[in-house]
Amino acid sequence: MRAFYGCEVTYPFVPQDVLDSVDSVRASLPNKYCDPKIAADLYHETLDEYLVADDVGLNVMATEHHAGINSLIGSNATFVGIIARQTRKARILSLGTLISLRKDPVRIAEEYAMIDVVSRGRLEIGLVKSGGSEMASNNGNPMQNEDRMWEGIDLISKALTHREGPFSWEGKHFTHRHVNIWPGPYQQPMPRLWAATGDPRSTAECGRRGIINTLVLRGPEGTRKAWESYKQARREAGLPPATRDMFAYAAMVYVGDTDEEGMRIGSKILWFLNTSLKTAPQMSRFLPGTAPPDAAPQIYRNKPRPAEIGSTVATKSASQNAAALMSITAEQAVAQGILFAGNPDTVYRQIINFQRAAGDFGHLNIIGRSGFLTHKEAVRGIKMFAREVLPRLEESKVHGGLE
Amino acid sequence: MTGTMNSQRMAVGGLDLEVLRGGSGKVVLLLHGFQTISPKAPFLSELAKHCSYFAPSLPGFGSSKRPQDFDTIYDLVRHTLDLIDALPGDKVTLVGLSFGGWLAAEAAVLRPAKLDRLILVDPLGIRISDRETRDILDIFNVHPDVVRDKSFHNPRRFAPDFDSMEDAELVTFARNRDSLCLYSWNPLLYNPQLRGWLRRISVPTLVLWGSSDGIVSPDYGHAYAKQIPKARFGLIEYAGHHPEIEQPAEFVTRVAGFMSGPEGNLLLTGEQAP
Repeated sequence: MRAFYGCEVTYPFVPQDVLDSVDSVRASLPNKYCDPKIAADLYHETLDEYLVADDVGLNVMATEHHAGINSLIGSNATFVGIIARQTRKARILSLGTLISLRKDPVRIAEEYAMIDVVSRGRLEIGLVKSGGSEMASNNGNPMQNEDRMWEGIDLISKALTHREGPFSWEGKHFTHRHVNIWPGPYQQPMPRLWAATGDPRSTAECGRRGIINTLVLRGPEGTRKAWESYKQARREAGLPPATRDMFAYAAMVYVGDTDEEGMRIGSKILWFLNTSLKTAPQMSRFLPGTAPPDAAPQIYRNKPRPAEIGSTVATKSASQNAAALMSITAEQAVAQGILFAGNPDTVYRQIINFQRAAGDFGHLNIIGRSGFLTHKEAVRGIKMFAREVLPRLEESKVHGGLE
Repeated sequence: MTGTMNSQRMAVGGLDLEVLRGGSGKVVLLLHGFQTISPKAPFLSELAKHCSYFAPSLPGFGSSKRPQDFDTIYDLVRHTLDLIDALPGDKVTLVGLSFGGWLAAEAAVLRPAKLDRLILVDPLGIRISDRETRDILDIFNVHPDVVRDKSFHNPRRFAPDFDSMEDAELVTFARNRDSLCLYSWNPLLYNPQLRGWLRRISVPTLVLWGSSDGIVSPDYGHAYAKQIPKARFGLIEYAGHHPEIEQPAEFVTRVAGFMSGPEGNLLLTGEQAP
């Protein structure tokens, strides 16, 4: 198993009374609450964490979000470009560009080709369809969002692999009359693609395309369902069976000397859920295209009708999932496979148990720092994971997840 | 006629549409706004006393299907021309409410042969103010409760109550909102080119506005009417963005009066020179 360390460069220093008084800590919180001098420190600390990860044998990943306390990485290519030069051995996962929100996929291909060349072939490209408050921040129409993602991926893939001079693209969502990027990527034919998505339709499409599918904080049951859809789509398309390297899981991870220390520090990462998920209803549950119209009775009514109370509606919206995550405790997060925290034995066992329940996977995406977890604690967690847990994961062979 | 119709469905340009219809006499094509028109809306029965109205649910709205690549205002405007062609008779009065007013104005610019009169009710579709001043409330970027409050003079009485709406009504509400978003997210509910072309509208035009409209103001309405050569502007008091819902009798009186008036009188009362 490969492991990727990531930090979203959260900004937890906004006064709590401000956070309590606004309807959204994303997209609409004025940037006067973000001190650029503190932001500079956070960027530097995170880049240093990536260097530590590189030294101890972990790979690194960076994730893009916009305009909120949940992340200061508004331009992932910028951040990943720095990592590409500063690290030496680590694979670099950009997870990723919010592709359905970008106007010109060819520019994304140029950015990633450059980064791959600078890193001498260590880049992996994650593409995300996005949603929620990101649509407002990026002026992205939430309708046809997924269609734009797939067409964008097609265009980026062709731009990265085409070697014989300009080609033209006149697609449904994107047009470009003259595509000819210089340089092409270092890796041939192109860097490996990832997608962070969990709904059955898009995971099936990932399966048909062989894109690495990572599930973020989805828990064993949701993860297993998504990967089943991936595997089934490959079977139905007559493709070779899925292999473990096509699957990844992203969880909050912290390894301490003792269970107490691992949980005490690791639970700080939950700030990301408890505090930074707060999003205005119009940017979440009421955002067009977020849930199918059939879910409207659950979404629009303030007073549920008797028949709805306790019902397990299949159309539970992403925002309802978010609401559940916001109030999660550390113990619940561990039980749900969202947080792996404790001493090395405990964390190893949690990951293996998760793998048994969800299915085998080849990559672990570590959300290793968030909120008030300090740089010093993050560095210690990285070293502990690399020394005490990763070697055992690399040796372990878990069966039962694949055909 | 290029389409066929019955009381519930109407086939137009190869599309199968849900349609409300009633009354007899002059033919009126009624285009809905953000939401499809409720069959229980009191103004419909009033309107039926004066004309034969057809109120289709546009593709993607109500139970009207939206074809795969039918997803722009361009499509809806051409579809409006198809609708005008499909209606019986050789004259059609086009009434557009809110979002439907935008489509009606776009269609009228193209001067369809059968178009006789144009009535725009709190229409959207143009930009008046400077680039940093929004004319139209960003209905997708505020809480739905804000949209409800700003849409009505008396929201307590007239705004939709999500808690009391039936499941099917809420599903339609959400589907309409999705489709509206698809068609009009960016630029939000206007066409930057339309304002300059409104001068091509050649039929007598009535622009009606609810005086308490919080979605888009009566000032915008005045500016809108000024761009249309044969337009007159009328305010309806005690109404917001939906005078047809809040003041149904007054609304129908204005509409029927305008439809039945001789063109010469209309021109006399019109404010704008061509």
